[in-house]
Amino acid sequence: MTAREPIAVVGLDCRFPGARDPKEYWDLLIQGRDGTGRVPQTRWDAARYHRTPSADGPQPGRANTLRGGFIDDPDAFDPGFFGISPREAVAMDPQQRLLLQCSWRAVEDAALAPADLADTDTGVFVGVMANEWACLHLTDYENITARHGSGNGYFMGANRVSYHLDLKGPSLAVDTACSSSLVAVHLALAALRSGECDYALAAGTNLIMTPAINIFYTQAGLSAPDGRCKPFSSAADGIGRAEGVAVLLLRRLGDALADRQPVYAVLNETRVNQDGRSNGITAPSRWSQQRLIESAWRAAGVTADDIRFIEAHGTGTVLGDMIEAQALGRLTAERGAGGSIALGSVKGNFGHAEGAAGLAGLVKAVLALHHRTVPPSRYADEENPELQLPTRRLALLKAPQRLPSGTVHAAVSSFGMGGTNAHAVLSSPPRTPHRSSGRAPGVFTLSARTPERLRPNLLAQADALARQPADRLAQLCWTSNRVKSRLPHRVAVAAHDLPGLVRGLRAEAERHGRTQSGENPGRGTAAAPAVAFAFTGQGAQHAAMAAAWYTASPVYARLLDEVDELLRPHVGRSLRDAILEGDEDFRRTALAQPALFAVEYAMAGALADSGITPSFVIGHSIGEFAAACTAGALDAADAARLVARRGALMDALPDGGGMLAVPLDAAEAGRLLQGRPRLGLAAVNAPGRTVVAGDLAELAALRAALAGRGVTARPLDVSHAFHSPLMLPIVDAFRRESAQLVPRTPGLPFYSTVHGRRSAAGEPLDADYWARQITAPVRFADAAAELLAAGPTHIVEIGPRAVLTPLLARLRQDDADGAAVSCHAAHPGEHAARCRPQQLLGELWCAGLSPRWDAVYTAEDQVPRRLPPYLFDDTFRAWRSAAPPRTAPELTASTPVIPQGAAAAAPPGRGRGESCPPATADDLPHSVGELTHRLVCRVGGHEPAAVHRGSRLHEDLGFDSIQVMELKARIEKELPRLGSLPVEDLLASLSTLGDLIDYLSECLLTDPGDVTADRPTADGAASTAADRAPDPPVERLRDSLPEGTPS
Amino acid sequence: MTAPAVHLASVGTCLPGDPVDNATLAKLVGIDEQWAEMFIGNAARHFAVDLATGQVRDTLADIAAAAADRALAQAGLEAADIDCVVMGTATPDQLMPATVNLVADRLAIDNVPTYQLQSGCAGAFQALDVARSLLLAERCATVLVIGGDVCAKHLETDYDPASRSSAELVNYALFGDGAGAAVLTADPLGESLAVHQILNRLVGLGREPGQVIDWFGLGDRHSDRTAVFEDYKAIESAVPLLARQMFWELLDDVGWRAEQVDYLLPPQLSARMSERISAAMPAPDAVRVNVVGSVGNNGNALPFLQLAELLQRWRGPGRVAAVAVESSKWIKSGLALERI
Repeated sequence: MTAREPIAVVGLDCRFPGARDPKEYWDLLIQGRDGTGRVPQTRWDAARYHRTPSADGPQPGRANTLRGGFIDDPDAFDPGFFGISPREAVAMDPQQRLLLQCSWRAVEDAALAPADLADTDTGVFVGVMANEWACLHLTDYENITARHGSGNGYFMGANRVSYHLDLKGPSLAVDTACSSSLVAVHLALAALRSGECDYALAAGTNLIMTPAINIFYTQAGLSAPDGRCKPFSSAADGIGRAEGVAVLLLRRLGDALADRQPVYAVLNETRVNQDGRSNGITAPSRWSQQRLIESAWRAAGVTADDIRFIEAHGTGTVLGDMIEAQALGRLTAERGAGGSIALGSVKGNFGHAEGAAGLAGLVKAVLALHHRTVPPSRYADEENPELQLPTRRLALLKAPQRLPSGTVHAAVSSFGMGGTNAHAVLSSPPRTPHRSSGRAPGVFTLSARTPERLRPNLLAQADALARQPADRLAQLCWTSNRVKSRLPHRVAVAAHDLPGLVRGLRAEAERHGRTQSGENPGRGTAAAPAVAFAFTGQGAQHAAMAAAWYTASPVYARLLDEVDELLRPHVGRSLRDAILEGDEDFRRTALAQPALFAVEYAMAGALADSGITPSFVIGHSIGEFAAACTAGALDAADAARLVARRGALMDALPDGGGMLAVPLDAAEAGRLLQGRPRLGLAAVNAPGRTVVAGDLAELAALRAALAGRGVTARPLDVSHAFHSPLMLPIVDAFRRESAQLVPRTPGLPFYSTVHGRRSAAGEPLDADYWARQITAPVRFADAAAELLAAGPTHIVEIGPRAVLTPLLARLRQDDADGAAVSCHAAHPGEHAARCRPQQLLGELWCAGLSPRWDAVYTAEDQVPRRLPPYLFDDTFRAWRSAAPPRTAPELTASTPVIPQGAAAAAPPGRGRGESCPPATADDLPHSVGELTHRLVCRVGGHEPAAVHRGSRLHEDLGFDSIQVMELKARIEKELPRLGSLPVEDLLASLSTLGDLIDYLSECLLTDPGDVTADRPTADGAASTAADRAPDPPVERLRDSLPEGTPS
Repeated sequence: MTAPAVHLASVGTCLPGDPVDNATLAKLVGIDEQWAEMFIGNAARHFAVDLATGQVRDTLADIAAAAADRALAQAGLEAADIDCVVMGTATPDQLMPATVNLVADRLAIDNVPTYQLQSGCAGAFQALDVARSLLLAERCATVLVIGGDVCAKHLETDYDPASRSSAELVNYALFGDGAGAAVLTADPLGESLAVHQILNRLVGLGREPGQVIDWFGLGDRHSDRTAVFEDYKAIESAVPLLARQMFWELLDDVGWRAEQVDYLLPPQLSARMSERISAAMPAPDAVRVNVVGSVGNNGNALPFLQLAELLQRWRGPGRVAAVAVESSKWIKSGLALERI
């Protein structure tokens, strides 16, 4: 670590006006869109505090604008996700809530699970200057509760993130006014460089909850009447305020590259200084800005020739723009390289985000370096000539500009009103291609806090994956295992190609859309897992059995190769090749027994390598050999020799033996065998599921006798009468073969199907055991019942087909304690998916196990790729609107929309003053609102109840230009006073029904009147109309309506 | 005199689905396996459509994006490094938007010039030529060039094989789907190859097209025009001559002698025809790189597949001449590469 160590931006998340996430932010920037809007009704009654300044100057207590940059849904939060009670969430500054969610998402965006940062020294540095929540709450002395302490305060914005993510590095809030968040980044860099932390979250936040600063800006002559910053433009006339929240996850570049983590951009250097005693405490200082930038560039080792673009502070005040241009120009004018340095300020897109402004600019620069394109600067068409930008080698971008290849540098400025200035130098990330292995399969894992959140999150992943290159399947799946697998409600989809994965995720989303709340199969179990492996016996073998494992699991392939080497001298051929080539059906027991052993040995080993390790084992007949290996009671070499010999000896026995499945209990079957010496009890698989074996003629006689009693016995398709007296001739030979074994006791509980119980401590698996195993009945039912009683949480059948799984499921039903056991077949049979090993791990993970995912991916596929971060539940809403000062907040009719149990936490009587955006048609203001609502429903043919203020005319209600024209005609007919409505306004500026209502209300207000009403008015939307038309009482609206209009 | 070189940084390809061999074709569409082997010679091809079910699995944009992504990964570049995209195809997914722009969208490439050339077998060379010209003009530094074709639109999967003429069956045995991509750079990037020359000449004045792929809209969708037509006799007689001409033109241009050519990428028609043309080409000692027999005739993808095969086999210095002939309105194309 060095003082100059470059710092990587590895993850980010943000919300700004007109942009709900980083992607939408980039779209807003690159398209040069305007994110400002009318002050939402829920913040404060904009009309009440608005007055166009007269010739005498601004009116006291009034702001000159009705607009600003406001984020959508600031009242939404997912308290349950963070384990916060709804009541506590209601008492939290919404900035804390937004920071929590953005921080989580920023960490996930870095292809990292937030849980992986828990208990680390990760730092949290939050820039914040808005404390308006406190202003609203802490003056209401009567209603201050214990929760208000943790719900308020700058410090808590940072400390809450540290608390809920369990981060133990530095955690602090920074207030240097408008430079707060870039100063926070500066402190984060220092902490990373000093080694104080290895990761740092650097954040900025700003919510506008009261008009206080609007009024201040107006009184100070700094407020733009249209609520828009127009940086470096000749139209610049002041500041428009904006909201925002942004979080960056930072890390030392070397560490990020070593982890192959994706890097958006590199922070080379940051600097902070102060104006000191300048022309006034709030006046910017050209000399301090200049010194700051000089020092930052020098420290970063760059000159004006290296810098491609500068994201300026650029508030759009005439003085501020001039001073900034002069300070920058002192350096940029020295540019010797061709062309100019692009200059811009995101404030032109949505205004000045104050405490979050530094990060708004920094995130813009980071995304520009990431996309290698600099977004255009709004208002560049009307550049202020006084600034002499061309002679300063600065150019406002009128269109997006591509960055050249190679490393490029950028700079970001952010200045605070009290004179604390910050500047950062960034560069494009180093080129670090990570090729994938090609077309390896994978299992995508997604988890959510509640079953309801599975569907939206599944769809978000499916949409994003559909746009990814095909070869990244395994890398994306591996990333999902790493990032998305820690929450309780789980879905796993295995796939061998990306389109298949996308289809699988969509199908799961569909399924979870139908699933009733609370009914969810993929839910991790709380108990400590205890896994049993159940090894299948003969009969499960088939051509190409489990061949998919060889291609899909590198560890399985290695183990099968190894055991094949051990078997080959004894079998005389490669069983691996016989399996993979698929033309051997393994009917001959000389091949079937060693082949089953090989498959089970490799499968158990591959699962153990994936972190699925057994605490118990049980094996059915030949399955006991692989079980004994797994339990440490047999070496693979010994087992290979024995199973090959066992198979060969049995194969050499004469024909004439068979097996019969009898639907009777063991005792009853045993009675039938009396007087039939060439028959024996071969297996007791479950109650009423018994197998007898022996001489074919005697079996036929038994079958006929049973048929006479109405009992249907079923002959098994076998070559010999295994576990019957007919096997006696080979027992001695096999005992001799086993004699060299060093008797060993299993290292795990071994449920012997010879004994029909757990092997006792003094019962080694020796030559006698294996010899006896040949003729002894397979007492699976007894052994399995004892296994189930031992309380395994999961049983995995190891073998090429599901044979024991249905038996175990049946035994489980009979066993009250066993009901909780989750049974899985490692390989269900011929029709198993090509990516079965991956699918199985997904299945086991859904059932509550924690696989070691790396085991099923090659090293080159273990590359983190960005996936969409978590989509939180936004049904909980809590907000408090600014009320007129010096009066207690009004009781609002609408209580917070808090789901289920939350309602109890915030009863209507306690929720005083907290309001939320009108949600249904019922909440619409009377008169114009109802009329417009009715007309929109009529023109669009909508159910009135389905249309509300927030309904978007185009996206939600399907309005096209023809319907808009029809609506216009109807409105004009119903409200003749309006005359002809300008269609451009209707088409261009009206998004929601609420906008339309506000717009029409504004149009109807032509007479300026006294602002005396203290109830909310229906606010105008379009700025042109709004700025022309101040605000008479709402009663006037009713007068203007034609007769018969509902009111 | 040869113009200054640009550089071929990487090649990526994508063939959709599993290879479809002649036995499968025989089963699904009723071609005669022996006939396909004898007259066409293509042993396998890939289709973006599942012949058994008729389900279209991939669009041209899908496989072109996959090929492009592989080329980017091979060159060690990210999408943001690409400052121009040029694509050649005879079978765009739609007439509008041009498939090149859908591919750019899939790769997250934006704010760069893009071009799509409506072209047949010479399309890859035309696209490379446009890229090279832009690089030489210093209009850009890193160009992604793509070629690909998807014939799903022309494959009927629900018809009675017995009712088909042999001319119709040829299409199944001859064509295939695929995409290829290459990154061309102004400055050498790693172990890149110098692209010395790319030539394209239309030579179709007065000649009837040797191949026609028609398209239909609402107004003429019921017309009885043939969707796909080839004049095999004309192709067989014209292509060898045009290929030889282009070879010599190219060598004259770059000042090489035939014996200095180490590798020759001959025109790809069918495996049988390409073998004949290939054998009759000059520079008998140059190693021939033919791929059509194993991937099918996938039009604009073929030269990329040949280049990928070449790069797989070839290490060390040497010279390469590639020739393509488009038999629609008759275009001959050539490409000269060198690794020093």
